[in-house]
Amino acid sequence: MSGQNNGKQTEIEVRGLNLWYGNNHALHNISIDIPKNSVTALIGPSGCGKSTFLRCLNRMNDLVKNCRIEGNVRIDDKDIYSKEVDVVDLRKRVGMVFQKPNPFPMSIRDNIAYGPKIHGFSKNEIDSIIEDALRSGALWDEVADRLSTSALNLSGGQQQRLCIARTLAVKPEVILFDEPCSALDPISTSKIEELIMELKKKYTIVIVTHNMQQAARISDNTAFFLTGDLIEYGKTDQIFENPKMKPTEDYITGRFG
Amino acid sequence: MLQIFLNGYSAISIEFLTEMPRKRMTEGGIYPAILGTIYLIVGSMGVAVPLGVLSAIYLNEYAQPGKTKWLIEMAINNLAGTPSVVFGLFGLAMFVKYMGFGASLLASALTLALMVLPIIIRTSQEALITVPEEYRYASLALGVTKWQTIRQVVLPAAIPGMITGAILGVGRVAGETAPILLTGAAYFLPRLPDSIYSQFMALPYHLYVIATAGTNISQTRPIQYGTALVLLAIVLSVNMIAVSIRRHYRKKLRN
Repeated sequence: MSGQNNGKQTEIEVRGLNLWYGNNHALHNISIDIPKNSVTALIGPSGCGKSTFLRCLNRMNDLVKNCRIEGNVRIDDKDIYSKEVDVVDLRKRVGMVFQKPNPFPMSIRDNIAYGPKIHGFSKNEIDSIIEDALRSGALWDEVADRLSTSALNLSGGQQQRLCIARTLAVKPEVILFDEPCSALDPISTSKIEELIMELKKKYTIVIVTHNMQQAARISDNTAFFLTGDLIEYGKTDQIFENPKMKPTEDYITGRFG
Repeated sequence: MLQIFLNGYSAISIEFLTEMPRKRMTEGGIYPAILGTIYLIVGSMGVAVPLGVLSAIYLNEYAQPGKTKWLIEMAINNLAGTPSVVFGLFGLAMFVKYMGFGASLLASALTLALMVLPIIIRTSQEALITVPEEYRYASLALGVTKWQTIRQVVLPAAIPGMITGAILGVGRVAGETAPILLTGAAYFLPRLPDSIYSQFMALPYHLYVIATAGTNISQTRPIQYGTALVLLAIVLSVNMIAVSIRRHYRKKLRN
């Protein structure tokens, strides 16, 4: 089943993607076009392959032993699985925010400066990057006066926004979110959601979520996964109001999952 | 401990700590033995810690699970349980004879380094395991290489645990007699070691000598207690330094 998207320019183009963990065929022939500067939500019950699919987009699955991938993933019209691609460079362009906030055990400043420092920015550049990133991450006003205190003292929601800011600091084009709010309270969640809506003006966003309301609230397009298949992909309004496939309808109306 | 302290305290004096032994070791100080033990600690830890930490990094972060890794870890576990006298014999055969270092500070330090290496590797591995996987993912997802991730994120978080391993190692290095007896410690030397190829005196062996083979055992009893106390004090102060370094790093991680 393939998903086409009209209108906006395509940022990520996936064709015939298959993935195996050992003998377990976890993703079946996925094809999808993810448009630039939009939010694309991946939904589906646990174990449906949505997070696995997300991790194909910045090749985090390379870290998993016995993981084998076939098919074609093009980001910005470049095949990211071709031999010439430097994985390290790819992950600079395709950032990722994880389920559990995972700031480094360092100060707030050092957390943001970590990426740019290793990528060779000068000290002056880094200072302005830190402020820009924290402002874009909607955290600056809360932490401006305590940048040198430990990031571990921040609340869960603040930590997650710090992780987003840390990702922004290496200036990616695409940001992948892997259930970024599942460990957060409703108020922190709504802050992150606002932030994601703001970020899509400059970045292409793909988000895995368990929360269907969240997908409905913030995404432009939604893809529904089930047991390793992409069942349906389309405009979020259409998926939620008028799903074409029976399993999609069942899932959205809460009949399983 | 208390007994050693009470009995040894009276023997301790500036002369005791800074002078050569006199009159067949029944009088005078234990300066060469103190210095020898400190050289041994510095020398063996200087070899064992870098080697052990790098081995642990290889085993935990790079080696693929499989036969080779299993074999290496098996060997390390066995070496950790090997009696120190066996290391001494190996040091004698390998460093003293085969590599031609002779009975020397170098041969002894290397032998002790080999002896503590398994402990250092094991504790370093434990320390690396406790570093949350999320740190590694976060760093890799920022487009940072694996080696940079290990250096910048994983190692700093693991250092407190690694220092614990080093502390255990120092205790063993300072206290072992058998390995140095076979590879370079002298019964008595009227001078300090002047190079890494010199023989040397060391506290545990000196203690053994004056307590069992000395010329007048009952007469030298205060010196025996004094020597034991100095040995304890050295181990304790090295450990204190290590503990404060560890605390410094822990604080830095939290704040």
